[in-house]
Parts: sequence; structure tokens; C-alpha cells
Amino acid sequence: MLSLRSIEKSYPLAGGQLPVLKGIDLIIEQGEMVAIMGSSGSGKSTLLNVLGLLDNFDAGSYHLDEVDMSELSERQSARYRSRFLGFVFQSFNLIAFKSALENVALPLFYQKIPRRERQKRALAMLERMGIADRAHHLPSELSGGQKQRVAMARALITTPRVILADEPTGALDSVTSNEVMDVLREVNSTGITVIIVTHEADIAARCDRTIRLKDGRIIEDGNSKVVIEPTAHGYTPDAS
Amino acid sequence: MIFSRELWIEIGHTVIANPMRTALTGLSVGLGIFILVVMQGLGFGLQNGVQQDFGDEASNSLWIRTNRTTLPFRGRQANRSIELRNADKEILTEKLFETPLHSARRMLWGSTIQAENEEGRFAVVGVNEDYDQLESIPLVSGRWLHQEDVAQSAKVCVIGQTIVDDLFKKKNPIGEYIRLRNVTFRVIGTFSRSGSRWTNSMALIPITTLQRVFEGADQVGRVIVSTGERSVEEASAMASMADGALRARHAVHPDDQRAVRVEDNNEQFAMYQRIFMGIRLFIWVIGGFTLFAGAIGVANIMSIVVKERTVEIGVRKALGATSGSIVTLIVVEAIALTSISGILGMIAGVLTLEFVAPFAEHDYFSNPAVNLNVTLTALGVLVLSGALSGLAPALRAVRIRPIEALRYE
Repeated sequence: MLSLRSIEKSYPLAGGQLPVLKGIDLIIEQGEMVAIMGSSGSGKSTLLNVLGLLDNFDAGSYHLDEVDMSELSERQSARYRSRFLGFVFQSFNLIAFKSALENVALPLFYQKIPRRERQKRALAMLERMGIADRAHHLPSELSGGQKQRVAMARALITTPRVILADEPTGALDSVTSNEVMDVLREVNSTGITVIIVTHEADIAARCDRTIRLKDGRIIEDGNSKVVIEPTAHGYTPDAS
Repeated sequence: MIFSRELWIEIGHTVIANPMRTALTGLSVGLGIFILVVMQGLGFGLQNGVQQDFGDEASNSLWIRTNRTTLPFRGRQANRSIELRNADKEILTEKLFETPLHSARRMLWGSTIQAENEEGRFAVVGVNEDYDQLESIPLVSGRWLHQEDVAQSAKVCVIGQTIVDDLFKKKNPIGEYIRLRNVTFRVIGTFSRSGSRWTNSMALIPITTLQRVFEGADQVGRVIVSTGERSVEEASAMASMADGALRARHAVHPDDQRAVRVEDNNEQFAMYQRIFMGIRLFIWVIGGFTLFAGAIGVANIMSIVVKERTVEIGVRKALGATSGSIVTLIVVEAIALTSISGILGMIAGVLTLEFVAPFAEHDYFSNPAVNLNVTLTALGVLVLSGALSGLAPALRAVRIRPIEALRYE
């Protein structure tokens, strides 16, 4: 379970601070599939980064499985990222000089899994993603959809508790986007929590729950089918 | 962690996957060490060459010779032949000054030497018993000329290795009889000086024998005297005394540079020493700057490499890498790269010297050896600079939050 209480986060700006998250209270249960929506600058990516321990916060508390994340050292944060969290980025962030197989196997390197075992598991994960035939190709030799599948395989290789996806379909066409969402749904069906930052209504509609942010505050939180409908606040589902 | 096989596989993979970066770093370090090794080798070669050349003649000796006069003096015309004779040598070595070693040397060029069915043309050289010490000639077998051989004008000879090889092939020449200019001599010793075919083509016999058997006269050609333990200044004074005495005896004009010449090896040796100190200093300065340039190059490349890899560092941190593991990865990679390329540069330098040495062999250039300690120290400096120059930006990069690294452009 992820629990945020009064989370605040500001970025330094010339002559002051720019508040990005203003008192976020949020609980996400294990096994949920959640979309975080909002316009550009609403703080949705910052929220995801705080959840993923990629960024720190200024105030409030964040508990992951009842462990206070604000108390963690740099090394402990790395351990949590390695054991509990998986990341999928819009720009894939694959290491350019490593093959698909090596990219997928990399998180296991930091869990000190032996090389042979890493490669075996990475290949199995690529098979599950349907791109085992591209295992020895460099990222530059893969299509956008294939790259994202490699990125998802890399996120899943450690069997994390939570997948954090920042605009995972942002760089993909609609067909490939649907394929990626199919994979994330399937992942979620195994009990893994999936949190997706998106500004696409179609993507959010495929999640169980949607949280809408505006100016660093949650303005809506509920069933996706309800939230992504136009509301009295005047927000449109695909606002960006 | 540094000895982890996994780490080295990861480093090997990074190094091979980035050939341009690897090549540039390698070139920077390898070239630095290569230049240092080659320059050092050339410096040593030059030093060895001149020292070897001096090794032929003791550095504490005077070489005295005469020639035709170039200036008229006291009613005598120019172009008069001045010959050094036994009496001159006696005056110099017994009356004028004390000397621990002295020898005359007179050469008969193109002398036919026969041994059984073999013959060749070599130099027959008449010398005194001290000659081997004054010329530092290494004896290979048998014995050197004794005082008795000189006193009794014995028909004995000590022959160089070239004569041994040409006339005796594999046979031991000691005790054998050979004919020098149709006169039979017994071989009592052999000598060999490394790299000097000229010296090895000589048959050394007592000066007295040469004068009596071949010339019927008492010319000595040259006189070589040791200055013993004298200082450079005292040796110089000794040379002036010899010069003055010979000019007075043979009525040679004080300004006639050709008729009487006394070469002071002490002075020349001191001068060469000064030149070598200058050359060594020059090599060190150039080598130091080369090393410095190499270190700057490595630092520069490592700094760029870490900047280039900032996003990768962010990805690795997102995937669970600790700061320590990333710093180790970068620093060990820098150490591995600089070490391997430095060693390759060193090997290339040594091979170049090995290849060039036989072609560059000269009177003033020999055996361009490499000082391994200096080279390894230089390599250590470059490796250390590589490690430090990787460490600083790596520490900077891992200090930033993963999300900042991921967004780095």
C-alpha cells in the first residue's frame, strides 16, 4: 500500500520557490491500476517521481507498506527502487549500447543475480513481451513499440510490487499504445499495482481509478469511468 | 566489489560498446607513455653511445700525437714532419710527470696476417703493457702483453675477435702461430669489444717488437698517459706541461695547432657530462609535459564521458544502482582503460626502440634502453589521473537526484 500525507514539493526558482505539489493526500492499495491525469505543470510527473523515490519531497510523509520513505538513506532508497518498484518512461530510457536482452537484465545486476540467471530470466521476459527475436538488437534497431516492450520487460524483470509509468504511450501510435496498455493490464491482473501518468483519456479509461491534478492539488479522484467524463469543473479528459 | 567478475564484464561491455571513447582515452594515455618511452630510450641511447665511445679510452687520460707543422718557427720551415719517438715518451712519462699507466701506440694498417690456410688484411698495432687498461679492452681468452714481452721484444700477439673469426673459425687460437707481415708470432690472448669491428680487427704486439722487426726505427705514433687521480684542473695542467715540453723539444710554434696535439679526455668527458645533464633535463622536461598533456587529456575525456553518461546514471539509479556502485563502475573503468592503453603504449615504445636500435647503431648512439621504474611511475601517474578525473565528475553525477540525471541534456 502506498500512502501519501500532505506531500509538498517545490522547485527552486530564481528569486524564490515554485510549488509543484501542494499537500497531496493519497492512498493507493496493492493491485490497483491508477491513472494520474492533469494538464502540463499540474504536478503529475512530480507526483510519480516522488512515489518512485526518484525525487524527494519537502514536507509530508510517504509510506510504502507502512515504511516511512522519508527516513531512507540513499542506499536504502536504491534498494527499494530495486526490489519494489519498476519504471516505464515515455522516452523508454534504454541504455543505447546495450542490447534488448542486456537492458532487461540490468536491474538484476543490481540485485546481484548471477549473469547466466539474469540472461535466462531476461529472455523469458522478452518472450512474454513477444519480442524474444529482438533480444540481441540494440535499442536503435527497434521500433518505438518494441522499445517500450523492452522497457516494460525491464520494469517487470524484478517482479516489483508497483509499476510506475510516465506517459508510457506518449511516443507511440494508437495501435501500439493499445498493445502496451494490454500488457500493463495483464501485469496488473497478477496483483502488481500499476500507476500511469497520462494526459490521454483513452489510456486513463483503461485504468480502474483516475486521479486528476491541477496546480499541484488533487481535484478529482475516483472511478475512471466517472472522472474522465466532462465535469462541472470544465475539465476535458484529454486536457494537456 | 572491484574484484567482482560481474563488474569487469559490465566494464568490458561498456568499453567495447563505445569504441570511439575507448580509442580516444587509449590514444591519449598510450601516446603519452609511448613518447615518454621513446624519448627516454633515445636519450639513453645517446648517452650509452658516447659513454661507450669514451669506454674505448679511459676518461682520465691524455692522448698525445704529432703531425706536420703548419707554421715556421725558429728558422725552420712549415710542413716539417714531427715524429714522436721513444725519447719523447720517456721524457713525458719518466721526467715530466708521474703517471700510473702509459703506452705508446703505433699502427701498421693493411697488414697481411696468415694462419695456416687462412689470411686477411688487418691492423698490426704496437703497444705497451698498459694499453689494455688505457683503452679498456676486454680480454676474452689467454693473457695480455706483459712488461717482459715489451722489454724482450717478444714475438707474441693478442688478436681481436674479427681476426679470430676470420682466420681460426671455431678453433682456439691460443698458443697457435700466425704470420704478421711474414713474421711468425705466437698468439697469447684474444679480445673482443662489443660493437667495434675496428678494434676487433687489430693484432696487438709489443711496441718494441714492432719498432725492431718491422720498422727498424723508434717512432711511437702516439703516447697515451693516464692522469690518475688528478682533478680536471690538474689534468689540464698536466696536458699543458706535455704540450709545452714537446713544442720545446721539436721547435714547434706555440700557435701551431696541428703539429702537437694533446687531447685531454678529462676535459672532454666533463664537457660530455654537462651536455648529458642538459639532455637528461631536456628529456625529463619534455617527458613531464607529455605526461601532463596526457593526464589533462584523460581528465578531459573522463569528464566528457561522465557528462555523456549522466542520463545512463539516472537510469541505473532508477533500476536500483547505488551511488557507490556507479562511482566504482566509472572509476574502475577509467583505471582499466588507462592501465591497458598505458601498457600498450609502453609495449609499442619498447618495440619501436627494439626495432629502431639496430638501424640507429652509431658511434654516438647505442642500446637505447628504457628505465622501467620511470616508465611504470609515469604509467602510475596517468592511471591515477585517470582514476581521479573519473572520480570527480562521477561523484558530482551521483550526487544529483535520479530524476535530474534522467532529465539531463
